[in-house]
Amino acid sequence: MTEPETETETQSFDEATRVDPPLRSDEVTILRGFLDYHRDTLRWKCSGLTAEQLAVSLPPSDMTLGGMMKHLAAVESSWFDRVFSGGELMPPFDTVDWTNDPDWEWRTAADDTPAQLRSLFDASVERADAVISSALQTDAGLGSLSAQGTRRAPTEQFSLRWILVHMIEEYCRHNGHADLIRQSIDGETGE
Amino acid sequence: MTQTFDASTRTEAPVGADEMTALRGFLDYHRDTFRMKCAGLTQEQLAQTHPPSAMTLGGMMKHLALNEVGWFGKTLGDVPYPPLFESVDWESDPDWEWRTGAEDDPQELRATYDDCVRRADDAIDEALARGGLDAESVGKDSSGDPFRLRWIMLHMIEEYARHNGHADLLREAVDGETGE
Repeated sequence: MTEPETETETQSFDEATRVDPPLRSDEVTILRGFLDYHRDTLRWKCSGLTAEQLAVSLPPSDMTLGGMMKHLAAVESSWFDRVFSGGELMPPFDTVDWTNDPDWEWRTAADDTPAQLRSLFDASVERADAVISSALQTDAGLGSLSAQGTRRAPTEQFSLRWILVHMIEEYCRHNGHADLIRQSIDGETGE
Repeated sequence: MTQTFDASTRTEAPVGADEMTALRGFLDYHRDTFRMKCAGLTQEQLAQTHPPSAMTLGGMMKHLALNEVGWFGKTLGDVPYPPLFESVDWESDPDWEWRTGAEDDPQELRATYDDCVRRADDAIDEALARGGLDAESVGKDSSGDPFRLRWIMLHMIEEYARHNGHADLLREAVDGETGE
């Protein structure tokens, strides 16, 4: 007799590996330090949860931790692959009909396993880091300008500096959501 | 009486700016976002929790006011707390600001908050004049080293953005209002 396979797979993240942003450092090191810290905070908030738990919301909000992880993968690719580099979104985001299904990544996360969500997220971070590193090797550094401009004015370009600070606040805001959702799932709290 | 905030006046961080302008722009954006999340709510609504968390929007406003004068005033510039916070016995009442913020009149609470933001901006101006974003804090960390203004600015942006994430869910639970 073999036991039926149960869905107990979760993501893992060792909180001890999360690195505090450096206290006394140059602008580039400190911005990348804060960004990595908050990427790891999201990994930590999502770790140890089953697919069912990653699909739980805290009403009246309909956000889920799984949806949030897939959303932030899309946000990484949107800012770094598309806006900054002027290229296409990474798969699977490149073939989505965003006009008719603007919340696709939030909606479809419930169909993914925890491991699939985490590997998509990790891949998006790896691609983004490659874009950041190559831009920082140019003379313009953090002042490097994006290929695409703002919605209100295509000639109004974003600096890499602005995009990095924006990504830090984007993660922090969502980690604030994640704090309350995680606490409602299993009581876990922590900065 | 409730607090008011006109969302059309919210500061936006300029997209191509130098480091100092960008950091101050993002900090002001999140201060305004938080004012927006608390605006239009009665004292009872500001005291509402979203279980299982015990946080309230009123408590959060007083907590962020304390953070402003704590980091920028006391730590960065060695400026004493405003009298309101100076007389608190933090040893025996470490969550004083969260507890009492939920009981305060909305307009008095907002006046305290706005006053603390003004004091913080004065301390930032003073430090920038002294040493730019590399300016060292007068107060030291646990190993006896000073903080730099650059780190404190980013820390306050992350502190606000994280609490604004909490505020998003609290506000939506109070009256259904959402929005970045």
